[in-house]
This record gives sequence, C-alpha cells and structure tokens, in this order.
Amino acid sequence: MKKVLHIRYFGLLLLSAIVFFQCQDGNVPYPIDEGDLTDIPYDPKPYSVPKPAHFPEVPFPADNPFTVDGIALGRRLFYDPILSADSTMSCSGCHLPQGSFTDNYAVSVGIDGIAGKRSSMSLLNIAYANNGLFWDGRSQTLELQALLPVEDPIELHTTWPNVIEKLKKHPTYPEYFRKAFGIANTSEITKELAAKAIAQFERILISSGTSKFDQFINGNIDALDEEELDGKLMFFDEGAAYNLPDGQCFHCHGGITLTGNQFFNNGIDSVASLDDFKDKGLGGVTGNRFHNGKFRTPTLRNIAFSAPYMHDGRFHTLEECVAQYADNGFGVENEDIFIGQMGFPLGNGKYSGLNAYQQRALVKFLHALTDTVAIHNPDFQNPFK
Amino acid sequence: MKNVILSAFAAAALFSVSACKEPADPGVDFAINFKATYDGSQLEKNKPYNFDATQIVVQRYRLYLSDIALIKDTTVTPITDVVYLDFTPDQAASDLSKTPRLVFSGIPAGQYDGIRIGFGVNATNNAKQPSDFPAGTPLANELDYWLGWKSYIFTVLDGRMDSDKDGDMDLPYSYHCGSDPVYRVFTFTQHIHVEEGHPELNIEFDIRKLLLNDNGTYYDILANNATSNLVTDTRVAEDISSHYDTATTIKQ
Repeated sequence: MKKVLHIRYFGLLLLSAIVFFQCQDGNVPYPIDEGDLTDIPYDPKPYSVPKPAHFPEVPFPADNPFTVDGIALGRRLFYDPILSADSTMSCSGCHLPQGSFTDNYAVSVGIDGIAGKRSSMSLLNIAYANNGLFWDGRSQTLELQALLPVEDPIELHTTWPNVIEKLKKHPTYPEYFRKAFGIANTSEITKELAAKAIAQFERILISSGTSKFDQFINGNIDALDEEELDGKLMFFDEGAAYNLPDGQCFHCHGGITLTGNQFFNNGIDSVASLDDFKDKGLGGVTGNRFHNGKFRTPTLRNIAFSAPYMHDGRFHTLEECVAQYADNGFGVENEDIFIGQMGFPLGNGKYSGLNAYQQRALVKFLHALTDTVAIHNPDFQNPFK
Repeated sequence: MKNVILSAFAAAALFSVSACKEPADPGVDFAINFKATYDGSQLEKNKPYNFDATQIVVQRYRLYLSDIALIKDTTVTPITDVVYLDFTPDQAASDLSKTPRLVFSGIPAGQYDGIRIGFGVNATNNAKQPSDFPAGTPLANELDYWLGWKSYIFTVLDGRMDSDKDGDMDLPYSYHCGSDPVYRVFTFTQHIHVEEGHPELNIEFDIRKLLLNDNGTYYDILANNATSNLVTDTRVAEDISSHYDTATTIKQ
C-alpha cells in the first residue's frame, strides 16, 4: 500500500514538473502542429520560359506566374501516379514526351481499362491555347483543365480529397508545395494549387524552333527540299505563282504554333443531319446544334510523333489524313468552308482537290515540322527516372 | 554676383509660373460599343440573309482597327493604336454576334467633329509579327496573322451563298483582306461629345453594305468568292475594304 502511494506521489510530481516546464515563458501547452512548414524557406524565383525568338511571348495568368519551384512541383505531379486511385497512372500516362505529349492510342484508356471516346491531344505549345482546351473546349484554362482527369471515372478515377490526403502525408510533397506557393501548413495543400503547378509545367512545353520549317522561316532557304517546299507553299496557300493549288491548311492550322485553336467540322464524317454526329464535340458543350461535330484544331508541330490522328484516332498515317482532306469533305451543313476549297478553283465554288504528288508533298512538309529537340528536352522529362 | 542673383530670381519666377499651371487634364473614360449588323439588324451567324436575288449566311466576321482618333478641326486626339474585334467567336453558344465594348481611359473631355478609323493594321505594325508584341495584346494574336504574306489579316468575312437559289448554301465565300495596299483610313464626320457620364459611342459595321459596290449593286460573290492568294492581286480584298466607308455607321 505504501509503495502504491509512493508511486502516486511520484506521478503527481512528474506531472507538475511537466506542466511547470511547459508553462515557462508564458507558453500555454498545446499539441505540436505536425503540418507546420514555416521552417522551410519560401523564396520564389521567377522563371523565364525558353522559347524560340520567332515564337510569341509565353502567356500565363496573372495569378499563376512561373516560378522555378512551381514548375518543379508541377513536373513531379504531372509524372506521379499518386494522382490516380490505384497509383498506377499519371497525367503522363496519356501525354508522353515521345508521343509529342500524346499516348499514341486511338483513344485513351484509364486506370480501370475503360477506353475513352477521344484521342489524347498534344500538349506541345499548349501555353498558347487561348480558346478552350480538350477536343470540345470544355475547359477554358490549364488550371481548370488539370482538375478534371483526376476525377474522371474513365481516366484517373479518384477524388481530389483522396489525392490531397496522399499529398499531405507524402514525405516530400508538403515541402514542394511550401516552396512553390509559400503555404505555411500542409493543411493548405489544395487541388487548386496542385492544378496551378501542373499548369505551370505544361506551359513550359514549348517547341525548340529547330525543325526544318523553323530553319526555313528563319532564313535558311535550303532547309526544305523541293517537295517539302511545294508542300509548304500549298499548306499556306502561297503556291499560285508556282502553279500549285491551295491546300487551305493554314486557315485552321495557322500561326507559328500551327493551330489557331479554333473549332471546326473538318469534313471527316458523312452524316445526314447535324444531329447524327456520333461525337458532338463542341456542340455537346455549348448545346448549339451548329457546333455538333466541331473539334478544336490540334497543333501540327511534331505531328509525325502523335499518330493516330483526329479526335477519335481514326487515321493511322498522315497520308490518310491528307487524302481525306483532298476529297473536299462531304458537304455537311456545318463543314468549314475551307474543307471544300482544296485544289485549283474550277468555278461555281468547286475545287480540284490534290493529286498524288501534291498530297505527297504536303505530307513531306508535315514531316518537316518534326522537332526532336523538344521531345528530348531534359526539362520536359519524367523527374522520377 | 549680380548675374547670379538675377538668375536665381528668374529661376524662382519660372518655377512659380510652372507651379501655378493647371494640372494636366487626366481625361475621362470613353466607351465605344462595336456592333456587326446585316441590313441594320444585329448580325446572326448562319442565318440566311437576303442578298440580291438570293441568300447568304455569314459564319465568321473579325477585323482589326488601327489608329482610332477623335478629330476637332485640325487637332487629332488618339484613342487607341489598335483593336481586334471578333464578332463571331466560335465557342459562343448563341449565334447572335457579339457586341464588344471597349473603354479607353484618359480621353480629353470635349466636343469633337468626327472620328478617324484605320481599317486593318497600319504599315508600321503590319511589318512586325505576333512574336514582336506582348502576350495578350491584339497583335500578339496569331489567329489572324498570315505567315505566307507576312501580314495580319485585317478583315475575315466568311460564309456561304445559295448560288443557284435552290435553298442550299452551296458556294463558300472567304474574304480575308490583308497586306498594306488593303489598309484603308476613313474619317467619319459626326458630333461626338466626350464627357464623364455622357452617352457612349456606337460604331456599327453592316455586312450587307460591305458587300455592296459603290454604285449600289451587289458584289459579285459568284465571280469573286475568295480573296486571291497572289500577293500581287489584292483586287477583291481592296474592294471589300473600300466599302467600310459606307458600311460604317457612327452613333451617339
């Protein structure tokens, strides 16, 4: 009994001592905050995105400027399967550098093995996309776009709360978020910050400007051989003086990035009415019947690496694509006006299409857009390898 | 010494005069509403409009304007160096054309006699390319820059015509007007009052009038359904651009 009392007194003494020492300097005892990140320095360094001189300034939203640490975090998140339910698939699962940031499948397949209905779009020069993202334009910014695949049941099939919990408990991500965005506590990690980081990384995926086409427009007139040059003249409707027909390609694939980021019915589906498109594309987003069957124009830069082609990957080769266009469409009501204008004018709004040589020259020109430097750029690669 | 004292007085006097000057006029915000019409009604994409004895639809209408300035006697008051107007953005759920409203700051208040507008991109800017301009500014836009001609496309007017009057819009027309010879500057005489709280200025472009010849006849779309891609042949593009004189209406 006496021994028990001694133990009790000792226990009380110990407790008093703990309280005493914890109350020193006026501190009130409270649980240690395990999520505190303020010991980690936050020193954001602005990042200037490298780009070819003949490319426009790389745009970014005012509330998500480039920083070295923001891009580093975004790159990790982009390549990390932590964003999927079973940690097997990342953004890069559909956007691999070697495919010019596509997956080279006709349609993409998510973690459950379920095939989607569309092909993955190239992310090369995606920073310049200023008119909606995805094939149907349903997201207006990269920050909004990056949120969707995580919760899509046929893509990464998880929830953001699940992802955020994994990121909070991760040994390194809290530090990355702190360095990128200055958060003081792991509890401040949000899906919006994750999306901002991914968007920063995606915006640095810019062409190197070293393709044959780039060399040509920068003054090296020998960069294109005769066939490639003929293709270029037809592509940009410059061939009239050389007895070459208009390819009309640049109307949709315009500008230095070779996409005007506009939406078109490019004449690949023969449908009886505008209601009959299997995939309504932009029309499924806007509800405007005239938008049915319209899709966002993909970039043609590095097109040789991003087969198969079209929104549903129906064409396996560039030859098939050009041959389809050379047939001048099906005359569907909302086909773009330039779909029917390929070739020499024959009068009354009819055009000749392209002969075999002209089609071959166009395809050769498309290969002259190949930029291997970009897809091997070390800054674009998987940081976990 | 005497010179030093005189100089000091002179400097002090000059300083006093400068200091007593009224502060520079900060100007006011001046809003312009732009509208595309067809025969006076707000333009609607894909809507059949009467054109001569047949019908046309309009699918795209975009344009650059440059060096917009208010005119009073011989005084020119610049409003802006360039604006880009897309009346038919392809993602808009409605087919009714957009009515962009732009607000220009620091415009001196007062009564003006007219407004001067350059239709297209002036030669100085047209000698440059999108990469020469800051992101997000009108001339950084690559959509309407044509690498082939090294020129901005000043006006894009695309659509279809029912060429044989059978109800089928079978004939595409595409007027992409660009290059320096196509640039037009017109001055529109109109009393314009610039003052805080005063009614805004409305500028309208009527597509029907844009497709009317100077003698009032309809433009021959069947014979000229596209602007030429030959750099030496700007005839159709110049025809269309020249019609802005009569196709533009200024209202306040």
